[in-house]
This record gives sequence, C-alpha cells and structure tokens, in this order.
Amino acid sequence: MLEFERVFFGYEGQSATLKDLSFAIGEGEFVALLGENGAGKSTLCRLANGLLKPSAGRVLALGMDTKQVKTSLLARDIGFLFQNPDRQICQNSVRAEILFGLEIALADEAARRARCEEMLELFSLSGERDPFGMSRGERQQIALASVLARAPSLLILDEPTTGLDYRECMAIMGIVAQLHQKGTTILMISHDMEIVADFAGRALVLSEGGLIGDGPVRRIMRDEALLGRASLLPAQIPALGARLGGPYAEAFSVEELLSLAVGKKGEKERAEA
Amino acid sequence: MKGILDYVPGSSFLHRLNPLVKLLLAFVLCAACFVTGNHFIVLGVIALNLALALSAGILGRALRMLRSLLKLSALLFLVQIFFVREGATLLALPLGICITDLGLSFSLLFVLRLLAAALPLGLMLSVTQTSDIPNVLVRRLGLPYQYAFVLGTAIRFIPLFAQEMAGIMEAQTARGVEFDTGNFFKKVALLLPLCAPLLVSSVRRIEGGAISAELRGFYLRGRKSGYKDYPFALRDLCALLGGACALALAVLF
Ligand SMILES: Nc1ncnc2c1ncn2[C@@H]1O[C@H](COP(=O)(O)OP(=O)(O)OP(=O)(O)O)[C@@H](O)[C@H]1O
Ligand SMILES: [Mg+2]
Repeated sequence: MLEFERVFFGYEGQSATLKDLSFAIGEGEFVALLGENGAGKSTLCRLANGLLKPSAGRVLALGMDTKQVKTSLLARDIGFLFQNPDRQICQNSVRAEILFGLEIALADEAARRARCEEMLELFSLSGERDPFGMSRGERQQIALASVLARAPSLLILDEPTTGLDYRECMAIMGIVAQLHQKGTTILMISHDMEIVADFAGRALVLSEGGLIGDGPVRRIMRDEALLGRASLLPAQIPALGARLGGPYAEAFSVEELLSLAVGKKGEKERAEA
Repeated sequence: MKGILDYVPGSSFLHRLNPLVKLLLAFVLCAACFVTGNHFIVLGVIALNLALALSAGILGRALRMLRSLLKLSALLFLVQIFFVREGATLLALPLGICITDLGLSFSLLFVLRLLAAALPLGLMLSVTQTSDIPNVLVRRLGLPYQYAFVLGTAIRFIPLFAQEMAGIMEAQTARGVEFDTGNFFKKVALLLPLCAPLLVSSVRRIEGGAISAELRGFYLRGRKSGYKDYPFALRDLCALLGGACALALAVLF
C-alpha cells in the first residue's frame, strides 16, 4: 500500500529532515506515527502522497512511484487530512464544501449529491451552515467529511484529534475505526497515546528524522525507554501494568487489567475457602 | 518555508549597518540606475550588488533573485524591442516589424535597469530584520509609531501570505485539485476559488494580532518604547559616501 525505501529528505537550505527511512505498510493496517514536535511526522506524510518528493530513495504509494505520478492523481485514492483544516475549507456552506471534494472524484451529479447527504448524516452536520463561523472541532469534522466522502483506500490523518474535546474526539475516531474495519488503510499522526493504544495496531516511532521504532502498538507501548526518546509517555494502563509487573505486565486496556486483577482475587478467595 | 526575501542572519559589514543607512543605500542604488543612460554604469551597479551580496554571504540568493527575474526580463525585452521604431534598422521582419539599433540599446538598458533596481531592495530585505525598518523610522525620523507599525506589518505579511497560499495549494492538491499542472492559465483559474480561505485566514490572523496587541498596551507605545537604539557609526558614513559616489558617477555619465 505504502512503501518507503531508504528515503532521505531535506527542506531547501536545511540539513536532512528525514534520514534513511524504510518501512512498508500493508493493506488494511492501522498505523500510528509517533514522535516529538518537529520530528518530521508531517513531512513524512507529505512524502507519502507525493506533495514532497524524496531527495534520495523511493516512495511507493499504491504501487506507484510518487516521483512519476502527479499528486492530484494520487489524491483520488489517498485521503489526506491536514493539521490545519482551514487550509482545506474553501466553500461557504458545509454542503458545498463536501461537494467540492467530490467533484473531482465522481462524475455523476446525482451520485455526488447522494454521497454528500450520506456524509452529512454520518457526521451529524447541517449542510447549510457556513464553515467559517463554526468551531475548530466542527471545522475539523467538515474537513474530514470531505476527505472521507471520496472513500479513499489509504487515509492519512495529521493529528485528527488535537484540540478536540472528548466527545468530538470519539466521534471522529469512531468513524475512522469504522472505515478501518471496512478495509481502509490508515496512517495517523497523534500525540494522544490513549487514542493510539485504543485504535492503532502498529506504531512507527520517529525521532529527529530517523525511524527508531516500528512494531505492534502493544510492544511499543511497553517500551518506555524508546518512547522517552521521542518525548512520549506510554498510555496509562500499559504503564501501570508494566509497573505492577508479573502477570499484569501484559495488560493493555482497563478491561484486561481488571479481568487479570479480579481473576486473581477470585482465585485467591476460592483457595482460601 | 524560507522565502527569497527572508532575513538571513549574519554579522557582515552590511548586516551591521544602520537600517536607515541600508534603506537609503538601496534607494540610492536604484536611483543611480534610473538617472544614468549608460549601460556600463547599470552593469556596474549590478556588479556592485553582487559584490555586496558576496560580502554579506548571500551571493547564492542574489543569483537566484537574478535568475527568477530573468524570465520576466526576457519577456519585457522582446516586447520593447518590437515597439521601438527609431534608429537604423538592423533586421526587418515580415508584417512591418523591424528591430533597430536604438530599440536594441533601449530595451537592453530597460531590462538591465529592472534587474539592477530589483537587486538592492531584495538584498536590503535579506540583511535587515524586518522589525528594524519601522523601528528605526520611529527612532531616528520620528515617524509616529502607529504608522510605522502598519508598514512593518505589511512587510511581515508578504512572506506569511506566500506561505499561507503555498499551504492552501498543498491542501487542495492533496484533495485532487490539479495544481501540479504545468499549464499556467489553468493554474490561475484553479487559484481563484482559493482566495476565500486565504482571505479568511488572513483576516482571522490580523484580527487576532490586533486584539492581542491592544491587550498588551499598543496605544501606550511611542518613540521611546523600542528597546533598541540605532546609533550611527563610522561604517555608516563610509557606506553613505560610497552610495553618493555611485550616484554622482551615474549623474555624470
Ligand atoms: N515548509 C517547510 N520548510 C522548511 N522547513 C520545514 C517546513 N516544514 C517543516 N519544516 C521543518 O522540518 C522539521 C520537521 O517538521 P514537521 O512538520 O514534519 O514536524 P512534525 O513531526 O509534524 O511536528 P509537529 O508535531 O509539531 O507537527 C522541523 O524542524 C521544521 O522546522
Ligand atoms: Mg506536524
């Protein structure tokens, strides 16, 4: 789906921002991209859909070399949600905004309308409102709605939940998780380790432009030293599990920890009786 | 994103000049190109600019500026050369178009002037921190702070605008708008609907900036508020003398 082969990249007049990155993301994976501020996460994502071209190495997106294909063509199958939703929103009603994104993807007018209504309903948005007067969280939802409307097979999310309250956060992540279940491949940047723990299956850890970790979220989450190098703290439950040690070390969610703890207690009580 | 007019930090002779002197020097060099009718003087100004750029460690950038102006200059050169009809004909083309020696010389001068006049301004902005320009005008010339602030903000907004526009185009490319086309006219047509987000984000930013400035006592600021003093030094005098010489040469020849 997405493949980086020994990729180097540096912005004009700067030393290398990304150094020797190699990894491959397969179809249907949900990958979290972690790293400190300025690690190069957003830059990596821009390379993934061809907005930036590698200075050395190769990026294959959907099997195509990004150096040889136009980004606007790749964009038909790669959805990209930017850190700043305002750059994307350019129409003066929510409906027009979603339709604008669809114009390029769907030729049929009626199909476009139907798809647009579907998205409005999915996100519980009102089509008539002017996006510019809406809150940041709502604008984020509109931007995401117009990206998802085109049903991309690879979805890249640059901090989709930063600055949102818990409910809006869960609303967005719920939709993303649904898409993932239907087979969409997802690459998501996030600083929120709880969300990463809850939703992602695999994590890439970037630090100062280099890939320092790549593996299942369960394993990465337990590696406090690795996360520390990228200025991150593991999610609370795995951290607690790791501190408790013994049988709890494997606990990853509240439910798992609880069942381990209660299970143990239950056993003890039975033994005493 | 590093723009071609952004400040390049350094401690060269040019960097350390008084901002007011830099401003003056830039204008004097521009003026010199326009008062002279001599190709060699204009070429000399270009060479002087490049030498100054070299001394400030920004020769690469100066050459990039020249290169980016070259396309426009070539176009203007072609337009000019066909419109001047005085002088001896060097080459007669069909449709009554002819190229004359005067036309050639005039167009060449025109284009050289354009290049020579654009460089000093670009260089000046490259070696001067943008906040220094309005500040020195307030300090040394007594310009009211509010006006200077407007000027400073306007200068600062140019690269911000460019950056914002690049960001918006990037975002739209990522959703399939064909900004990566080679066709210039198609690109412009695609750009028009994007003026809305650009305007909105700019207005938002300006409004935010204005409110935050007001909250921090904007109206209390005056001539003495800046913490930087801009003293004149011997090197400033030398630079001014140099500029005056260049202008005198231009007037004489
Ligand atoms: N357009 C640009 N031009 C030049 N340098 C840039 C540009 N964008 C980013 N950089 C630099 O590249 C480095 C990586 O930036 P990037 O935006 O990829 O970081 P990030 O990991 O996404 O950070 P954050 O968590 O803050 O979003 C930073 O040091 C930044 O200064
Ligand atoms: Mg980022």
